[in-house]
Amino acid sequence: MKKIFTIANREFRAIVGTKAFLISLSIMPILMFGGIIAMQLLQERGSIEEKNLVVIDHSKQLYEFLQSSAEANNAFVDGQAQKAEEEAKSASEANADTTADAKADSKDKAESTKPTSSPRRGPPTSSKGTRFVLQSINPDEANEAKMLELSDQVRSQKITGILEIPADVTSSGAVKLYSEDSGISTMNFWLTDRINDRVKKLRFESMGLDPVQVQQATQPVALRNLGLVQVKSDGTVQAAEEKDSMAGILLPLFVMMLMFMVIFMASQPMLESVLEEKSLRIAEVLLGSVNPWQLMWGKLLGCVAGSLTIVAFYVVGAYIFAVQKGYSDMIPLHLIPWFIVFQILGVMFYASIFLAVGASVSQLKEAQSMLLPAWILLMSPMFVWFMLVQEPNGSLAVGFSLFPPATPTTMVLRMATGSTVPTWQLLLGVVLLVAATSGCVWLAGRIFRVGILWQGKTPKLTELVRWAFTA
Amino acid sequence: MTPAIELFDVTKSFRSQVAVDSLSLTVPTGSIYGFIGPNGSGKTTTLRMILRIYQPDSGRVVVLGQPQGAVADDRVGYLPEERGLYKRMKVFDLLDYYAKLKGVRNAKPMIHEWLEKMGATPWANRKIDALSKGMAQKVQFISAVIHQPQLLILDEPFSGLDPVNMEVLREAVLELRKAGITIVFSTHDMEMAEQMCDYIFMIYRGKKVLNGTLDEIQSAYPADRVRVRLADPQASLPTHSLILDPERRGRLFEFRMADPSRGSEVLRHLVQSENVEYYEVVRPSLHDIFVQIAGPEARQAILSNKNESAA
Repeated sequence: MKKIFTIANREFRAIVGTKAFLISLSIMPILMFGGIIAMQLLQERGSIEEKNLVVIDHSKQLYEFLQSSAEANNAFVDGQAQKAEEEAKSASEANADTTADAKADSKDKAESTKPTSSPRRGPPTSSKGTRFVLQSINPDEANEAKMLELSDQVRSQKITGILEIPADVTSSGAVKLYSEDSGISTMNFWLTDRINDRVKKLRFESMGLDPVQVQQATQPVALRNLGLVQVKSDGTVQAAEEKDSMAGILLPLFVMMLMFMVIFMASQPMLESVLEEKSLRIAEVLLGSVNPWQLMWGKLLGCVAGSLTIVAFYVVGAYIFAVQKGYSDMIPLHLIPWFIVFQILGVMFYASIFLAVGASVSQLKEAQSMLLPAWILLMSPMFVWFMLVQEPNGSLAVGFSLFPPATPTTMVLRMATGSTVPTWQLLLGVVLLVAATSGCVWLAGRIFRVGILWQGKTPKLTELVRWAFTA
Repeated sequence: MTPAIELFDVTKSFRSQVAVDSLSLTVPTGSIYGFIGPNGSGKTTTLRMILRIYQPDSGRVVVLGQPQGAVADDRVGYLPEERGLYKRMKVFDLLDYYAKLKGVRNAKPMIHEWLEKMGATPWANRKIDALSKGMAQKVQFISAVIHQPQLLILDEPFSGLDPVNMEVLREAVLELRKAGITIVFSTHDMEMAEQMCDYIFMIYRGKKVLNGTLDEIQSAYPADRVRVRLADPQASLPTHSLILDPERRGRLFEFRMADPSRGSEVLRHLVQSENVEYYEVVRPSLHDIFVQIAGPEARQAILSNKNESAA
């Protein structure tokens, strides 16, 4: 037993004591979550852009409204920019109510000054960083030659686009936007939002309806997503808490990715270390002191210790980050013990496969192709993660979480969604995973025992089976 | 005294190939026992069975009085044929690790003592991959003896060493023997085996073909080799029907007598033809016996091994 710990100790140091480990510790999250973080950073720090539009208003009903809307928007953007500047100057300055000015305005004006990043419709945009400068041209002048000239101006980037509003815009006509921007640009969303608001209002008026009443009548009904009512430890009933829908998606993704990273980062060095021991004939020296089982168990324990270090690093890191950003109540502390249980089992499951493969081959290249099926098994829940998050207690999620190779990642993902995973499923998952891991470790040990001293060509699958099942 | 190693009718096969065939052998405690034999003849398999790395298919292997075990005894030290050192570990840490695997708690004094003895103290904090081949071999040797074993198994300990390092290692082995440690070593270097071993065991195609002291082995083979030096360095060796395979080796001629019992007849013929300065009937060397048993296949193996060592 002592020898197993001696091996585990060396193995652990070999995993965590390298520069490669420190580098991958910092690079992994960048690879996994870098996209999301970069997008957020860009959104926060986006510079102010200016969009120049030429408006051809055949209806003669919208241009003025759009113009005042744009001015209000620009004033808001400039105000924000100025405020940010002031804040940068003196961080202690209290936050001003950003909507105070808008509220003071008239009803019509209030409607047009509404910040375009309205959460009421459309995806969240960064239009607070976009100024709109409109200029109108006489619709009668908008002949083919004029359109071509304006198009050339768009091409040479003198203007951003041409907005053509048809005469029948309030009945059935479609508004045309000629530009090189994409269909999901900020400008596009802003225009859709503003034009629809205005046209609806015009329609209500022509029908003799009071817009305010219509708005009240068509007010959408909110659907609040709540967790479940629970009994607290002191016996009192705890009211259900509101679920954060973004957290409901991102947290499970984060937890699943963390599990994947931990398994990957802990198992990969196993492959390399066993290959080194095999190719440099270290294995023979070791087997002169310990038996193959001791050697393999020592490696597995070292690997588990390494993986726990990785998790400790990330969990503590995430916790500090969350506390600083004020999300500390979002950290699912109840999840940690289960995470560790599934992590230990998952790491042992995959590390034993990596050890057996490492012992069977003589080159890293051969190992990689033999490990492809293991990779696919480990990554399988990731291909359908969104479906799993949507229905954390659906049959797909239950099926995946009870399939041992996918259990570690899927089970923690399900738990992180905030929905209650039935206890019997958790326990069954653990039992199945323990059984599969034991089987895997046993088989790997049998293959390892023969493979570690095997010098020669890479054995075929049938050969490996023979190693495993003959004495 | 209990023998250090006893093999009783041991057989080990790999698939259809028999690597060791009904082998029985007794290694007395405190002796140096040389294992010789061409490549692939079963030497390493036998050593691995003694180390419990392999279990025999049949027969018994008793090591230091222990009839069986799933793992090598901590009283056994092992230096494998090929170097087994973690490249990225430091010399001291590596020796400490190997000592711990042999159950030594505080190996520090022993490590320093051995590094000193091998002239390797400055290398203690160097990484293995910064060492020369000879130095790495010394480190490997230390790792085999650091836990003060009672039985030391050395598989090709001298291969690839320059004469200076070889002498250091040879001295160390002889010193260990003086301390009462039993030493088994396999080698391709027949001269080294002759010089160092109390007993020699030769395995060929899995079977024991020689076993005993050098004297016993040599006396079982006829003394049919003759060395002659003629007074005239320009003269060539006279021919005779009893003189076979004559070879010139510097100032000496060496040949085989077709019939050793008619030695005086050959000497008379030589004296009559030339002025003979020196005449000696030599016992067959281990090399000769080896080649006689293993044939051209073995000769090739020895030659290639010598070339390797020279390189």
